[in-house]
Amino acid sequence: MPCIIALIVFGILGIFSASHRVLAGEAFGCVFRRITLRPCNTGFKEKIKSKILSKLISRSAFFARLVNKHYELLSWVFFILFLGSTIWVLRGGYNYYVYGSCNGLNQSGFCVFDPKGENNKISQINAECGITLKSEKNVTLDDVDLSSFPAKNIGSKDTVVFIGCYDCDYSRKAYPDIQRLVTKKNTNYVFVHYPAKNDSVFLSDIGYCVYKEYGDKFWEFNDYLFTTDKNFILNKANVNKILELFDFDAEKMNECANSIDAKNAVQNEVNEMEKTNLYGTPTVFINGKPFVGPKPYRVYRSAINDFIFF
Amino acid sequence: MKLEEIRADFKILNGDKKPIYFDSACMSLKPNSVVEAVNDYYYNFPACAGRSSHKLGEEVTRKVRETRLAVSKFINADSEREIIFTRNTTEALNLLANSLDLQKGDVVLITDKEHNSNLIPWLILKEKKGIEIRIIYSKEDNTFDLEKFSQFVQGAKLVSIVHTSNLDGVTNPVKEIIEIAHKNNALVILDAAQSIPHRKIDVKDLDVDFLAFSGHKMLGPTGTGVLYGKYKLLEKLSPFIVGGETVEYSTYETYKMLPAPEKFEAGLQNYAGIIGLGEAVKYLGKIGFDNIAEHELKLNAYITNEILKIPKIKIIGPKEPEKRSGIINFYIDNTDMHQVALMLDNMANIAIRSGQHCVHSWFNNKKIENSARVSLYFYNTMEEAELFIINLKKIVKIL
Repeated sequence: MPCIIALIVFGILGIFSASHRVLAGEAFGCVFRRITLRPCNTGFKEKIKSKILSKLISRSAFFARLVNKHYELLSWVFFILFLGSTIWVLRGGYNYYVYGSCNGLNQSGFCVFDPKGENNKISQINAECGITLKSEKNVTLDDVDLSSFPAKNIGSKDTVVFIGCYDCDYSRKAYPDIQRLVTKKNTNYVFVHYPAKNDSVFLSDIGYCVYKEYGDKFWEFNDYLFTTDKNFILNKANVNKILELFDFDAEKMNECANSIDAKNAVQNEVNEMEKTNLYGTPTVFINGKPFVGPKPYRVYRSAINDFIFF
Repeated sequence: MKLEEIRADFKILNGDKKPIYFDSACMSLKPNSVVEAVNDYYYNFPACAGRSSHKLGEEVTRKVRETRLAVSKFINADSEREIIFTRNTTEALNLLANSLDLQKGDVVLITDKEHNSNLIPWLILKEKKGIEIRIIYSKEDNTFDLEKFSQFVQGAKLVSIVHTSNLDGVTNPVKEIIEIAHKNNALVILDAAQSIPHRKIDVKDLDVDFLAFSGHKMLGPTGTGVLYGKYKLLEKLSPFIVGGETVEYSTYETYKMLPAPEKFEAGLQNYAGIIGLGEAVKYLGKIGFDNIAEHELKLNAYITNEILKIPKIKIIGPKEPEKRSGIINFYIDNTDMHQVALMLDNMANIAIRSGQHCVHSWFNNKKIENSARVSLYFYNTMEEAELFIINLKKIVKIL
């Protein structure tokens, strides 16, 4: 039923063009007659058919004859294809809404772990998403022990796990949204610092020790690291100044961070994270569902609201 | 005049996207002089005729009178007072149907190929007043059956028939028809919408009582038409629409109608159109009907000859082109001819008409879905005819 397709296409074009509005009106007349089980007598079918055949006939009389002979059948095939592609497009729109772009905010990409261990790469804007090995589908919390990471367990049914890196711009971009989500939706919250770039490894050690020693005071420290100028926090010379800002015992924290126990614990945490198959930061798990790369707030909210159907 | 010179007079035939216009039976193209005459009215004297005494009003009155005179001479009427301006043939025929005092049982004769405008008014009178309609069916080749007519006309009060059919271009033997009708005391109305653009009509020679035609098919502007009537008959007719300019005076209790033609021309008229019609009449006179007929026959003969070579196509009416004026109306069994017409338009900018051409009754009777009609005029060329045939053959191949 090409008149349905025509109604949609000309209806959209008709917003901008008066001549297409007329065609949309004719298409509507045709659709209305067909759905009321009457033959379309508006001449619209002939108009469209003749336009198609006129184009075809100049290229191939054989093809034009074929189309003319099987016009109704071809119309139905085209209609089904149209319907399929419409569903596909709508699904794409839905996915974009609930998952966001697979290339983060579509600005420059998100922090990606380089297999060579450089850990300082950024994906390209047009880089292909969903490569088998680096697929969000493979990212999981199954068999991952999160007990050693900083956590707020408030007995909520929802749990948010945020894996980010202090040195990663995209983690820093997503961080406020995650804090907003956790606060607004009262969720359980687990934070993992995964040093996507070598510059921030020492902060993993410090962070481990702060949480171990000061518990919930860690969260203010964590907020500070994600919201303060990167160059300042990544400069090892400033560590003590930062620790003192929060009245932490800088000497003790440095001693702890340099201890074998802390190093082993942090390494264990990194090992634990590798079990997740994560390939970039930020990676956020919302009730176990992974989101790799920074997403708009609505995506995280949709996951909490159970708006994701497939 | 040479064809190139004629075509130069039609702006639309000189543009980059000039059409191959084969739909003159529906609406003729307009020469520049007609368009200029219409514009001249709107630009220079856009006033009322017959009412206002200022210079502008006087100018319109003069121009309208000139057109009335030109039209009366064009059809050789006795006087310009026998010329009533209408919007078109349909209005003229409706005026007559509603003004002639037909009563229950009065017989009106029509042919089986009447345009709706010469069928529906009588069908309505049949419903409202109980008049009787007799239909003269055409012969096998769609030409007029004079013998049958001679039998049917007996006792008839009115014969209202088409002169040249827009269906197939066949021209009825109206001189004989009128003679027979008058011998039987029947009045005759002639629908000359399709004949007047193509042939000389002399109302005195034909002795026709009423003649209706449109301006838009004879180079004139749209919304113009003429009803001719013998003056003695017009005097007896009651007006159909009354109002401004139809009465000499009125009081709260009474009125006095003006004589014809004013009593039939109620309200403000289409002055621009009427003045344009006058220009069209002049232009046709310049071209000459003999030249028109000769040119149309040449093109019709070529197209007919080529179409008859295509096995699937059937021509409505007689095969001989000389019997079909400038019309070639054809169809293909089980084919929607709208599609053919639309494809010609899309492929080669060829404008022809498709459908039932306002002669639904004939198509329904013959059980033919629709047809495609080529209607020629003096501005068409042999090259256009050839292009039409080339494209038509291409289309037929894929059907």
